[in-house]
Amino acid sequence: MAANVAWREGSGASALFDAALATVGQKLSQSTVQIIDGRRGAGSGVIWRAPGWIVTNAHVVRTPRVKVHLPDGRKFDAELVARDPDNDLAVLRADEPDLPIAEIGSSTELRVGELVIAAGCPYGLRGSVSAGVVHAIGPVGALGDRLWIQADLELAPGNSGGPLANARGCVIGINTMIAGGLGLAIPSRDVEQFLRRVMLQKRAA
Amino acid sequence: MSSSSDSASASNRASTAAALVALSNDLANAAERAGQGVVAIHARHRVPSSGIHWQKGAAVAADHTVKRDEDIQISLPDGRTVAATLAGRDPSTDIAVLKFEAGSLAPSEVLDSSLRVGNLVLAVSRTEGNHLGASFGAISAAGGAWRTWRGGQIDQFVRLDVAIYVGFSGSALVDPQGRVVGLNTSGLARGLAMAIPPSTVNRVVQDLLSKGHVSRGFLGIGMQPVRLPEDLRGRLKLSAETGAILVSVEPDGPAGQAGLMLGDVLLALDGQPIRDTDDIQAHLGPEKIGKAVAASVLRGGASLQVSIQVGERPRRGR
Repeated sequence: MAANVAWREGSGASALFDAALATVGQKLSQSTVQIIDGRRGAGSGVIWRAPGWIVTNAHVVRTPRVKVHLPDGRKFDAELVARDPDNDLAVLRADEPDLPIAEIGSSTELRVGELVIAAGCPYGLRGSVSAGVVHAIGPVGALGDRLWIQADLELAPGNSGGPLANARGCVIGINTMIAGGLGLAIPSRDVEQFLRRVMLQKRAA
Repeated sequence: MSSSSDSASASNRASTAAALVALSNDLANAAERAGQGVVAIHARHRVPSSGIHWQKGAAVAADHTVKRDEDIQISLPDGRTVAATLAGRDPSTDIAVLKFEAGSLAPSEVLDSSLRVGNLVLAVSRTEGNHLGASFGAISAAGGAWRTWRGGQIDQFVRLDVAIYVGFSGSALVDPQGRVVGLNTSGLARGLAMAIPPSTVNRVVQDLLSKGHVSRGFLGIGMQPVRLPEDLRGRLKLSAETGAILVSVEPDGPAGQAGLMLGDVLLALDGQPIRDTDDIQAHLGPEKIGKAVAASVLRGGASLQVSIQVGERPRRGR
């Protein structure tokens, strides 16, 4: 990832797009973690909320305690707080201070054709960024009634649990699977609902 | 770092971020605008395919996605689903034309522009649930006119670097301003994402609406590729290694009338070597109908020249 992006006057729309994508991608990567479950990189996650709440897919986390790697080099442990296999969501909690929190956006305003950016660790490659557009928002054939954000992104194993962001760099989905040549993400609205349920259960307990 | 360069880089970041948002909005607007001319076609099992409302009341689709001739419906951008009739098919260019009652719905804004490598494009489709779909990429290769493996003439070679997904074939190739600049299909070149330029679509639509088919040259033969023996090639000084052996000859067809027989091996047409059946298809475009073509033939170990009057391919029911 380019650490320094220079914007030269009059260099044209393509250079601007290039610089913009690098800038937004870099910002997004800062709050994107790699989750190590057992001895191998299992997937990605998003530092969703303070203090230390990390959202990922349920299929990424199978043990009560996992290791988390931040792009700035920090490594720490996180505990599995709740797992919802039906919705393929999970939330972890880490005690690490000063964590960069992702900016969360609204998934309900997404439009077909809008640019989206995914960050994560495909094949264990940290700090990876991919861009495409929203292909469609809606149910997907064999996957039932729930709404998926479908994007024409190049996702790979290891991207699961990582963020899907809009052109502003605000996270509007969690990358979950690849189907029919497209990347599917759980909308941020579903993640917020999941977190509300988890909080309510914690209070009740 | 000094504070002035801090604020400069901060304002740089703000401008570049705004640029991305602006591009994102442009693309979403282009998809929405082009979507007003993209339809969903129900002519196969399960998932509908995409089509483009090309002229008022006529939609084009990728022929290979139209799996039946009757009982076809079209879902329109205004939400209506109406019955459609198949006006005709041209498998050689993978285009089919459907007619339907458009009402007040306007056809697509189509631009016949010369596409260049690197031009950014969207592929806009309409599929399940009548929803729009889009994928984004660039023109990855552009060249001059080319012939498909089935002998269809396409006016510009346009290959795309976009994700191919269910509904891609028959989707609209769209420029960042939302204008339709081609008909997309993966059925023309071994599954590659290609686009058919508007001039070709217009030509085929004309033929299909007026005649119901695109004329193709016809010889009335069934053939198979065959390897030519070394000694024969040496004796007759033939450069080609293969030819097409006639395994059937329609007695009343153009080749039969010209005296060709079962077992003859076709070596060349008008000097063009025939290695397999695709070469013959490529040679029999509509412009050859009624013209004489010189066939070089191998019969019983000797070569001869036969002149065949090319006929018109009769319409076959599907």
